[in-house]
Amino acid sequence: MYILPLALLAVALSWPVPRLMAGFTSFRRAARAALVVWQSIAMAALLAALFTAPVAVPFIVRQQSRITEYLGLVALAGAISGLVLARLLVAAHRVGHNLRIHRKRHRELVDVLAAHGDPQLRVIEHPTPTAYCLPGLSRRVVLSQGTIDRLPADELEAVLAHERAHLAARHDLILEFFSVVYEAVPPFARSDAALREVHLLIEVLADRAAVREVGIVPTARAIVGMAGGPSPAGSIAMGGAASVARVRIGLLEPTRIWGLPVSAASALMYVFAAVLVAMPIMLLSMAFAGFLVT
Amino acid sequence: MPASPRNRLGDLERAVLEHLWAEGPSRPEGLTVRDVHDVVGVQRDLAYTTLMTVLDRMAKKGLVTRERDGRAWRYTAASTRDELTSETMHHALGELAGTERRSVLLHFLDESTPEELDELKAALAELEARAASGSAGGGSGGRRKAP
Repeated sequence: MYILPLALLAVALSWPVPRLMAGFTSFRRAARAALVVWQSIAMAALLAALFTAPVAVPFIVRQQSRITEYLGLVALAGAISGLVLARLLVAAHRVGHNLRIHRKRHRELVDVLAAHGDPQLRVIEHPTPTAYCLPGLSRRVVLSQGTIDRLPADELEAVLAHERAHLAARHDLILEFFSVVYEAVPPFARSDAALREVHLLIEVLADRAAVREVGIVPTARAIVGMAGGPSPAGSIAMGGAASVARVRIGLLEPTRIWGLPVSAASALMYVFAAVLVAMPIMLLSMAFAGFLVT
Repeated sequence: MPASPRNRLGDLERAVLEHLWAEGPSRPEGLTVRDVHDVVGVQRDLAYTTLMTVLDRMAKKGLVTRERDGRAWRYTAASTRDELTSETMHHALGELAGTERRSVLLHFLDESTPEELDELKAALAELEARAASGSAGGGSGGRRKAP
């Protein structure tokens, strides 16, 4: 009887666990490992939900005489798996489609408007400081003239190193995965905290790449320089920019986590991530192993 | 710089648009493919049909608008350079940011309180002090350009 543990696992991993995890901010100091743990939580939750129905199969076959007693439970399990799969496919299609349309349109705009000697770099003649990247096959790093005017050369290098790190590590794919999962789960179970945390961790990884390339002081200054900018008229506002920047500055250097060096803490977190993903797989194989032996 | 075919196409579209922008005020009725080819195409040694294809693509992308004039099309830039620039910025801050909020570094879109900004500056000062007292290679100490 493995239906219930799998269903419980799916529920736990999609609701209380992400909320708990987001509270442990020390995890951020091992940014890479924390990102892996977040991915494993999402992956394990999906697997658990998807496996709930297949696990019901050996159960049904062995206890055919009494199947009517459990019909409700089996139907429920089937509905969960089917729903998860359908929602996942729809979300994956919608998220991917939207991303690609907007990126393509934006690439067309910056290419025609802001060509530069460097084939990957685009400079928009606009006073608002901004810097971002367009991932994909023809990748671009886009800066506004406002950024160039605002930052000295070494800080500009830090901004470029940050964006190039996003592109090189394909952070967009990690975000796309989380966006798909976020869209796929019903609104009441969505974890904004988890999504915010993943966004932050990705910024931290890119910040650290910039630190390795140009040093910690220019990187920290660039983060502050970009955080204190003016808000362009008629644009959308995202609150708390300064507090996010402060958190990022605090995470530029690796520090100890719960008294452990980062490498040891990371190792523990990788083990935890592996256990999480292994759990639904184990439950599924145990269900089928019992079925095949008897 | 050896450009990829994709980049060359982007360059060409840009040259065409620049030409339409430059001629726009004196030629409000628009330019034919022949007009564009005579300047942009001849400069770059491109065939008439290449310019025709490029202008057709640009019309489909909404970068240029066209009107029938007898057997030919007359092309004008769909928006001025400034309009296109602010459209690009709005797209970056709006739709693009909405679909990929994090990969866009939108931290300058600031609704931060003065206290938050003060805390941020204090954190930076502390980091700079630590870097200065620690290793000498902590960065380019002291060169702070006030925005």
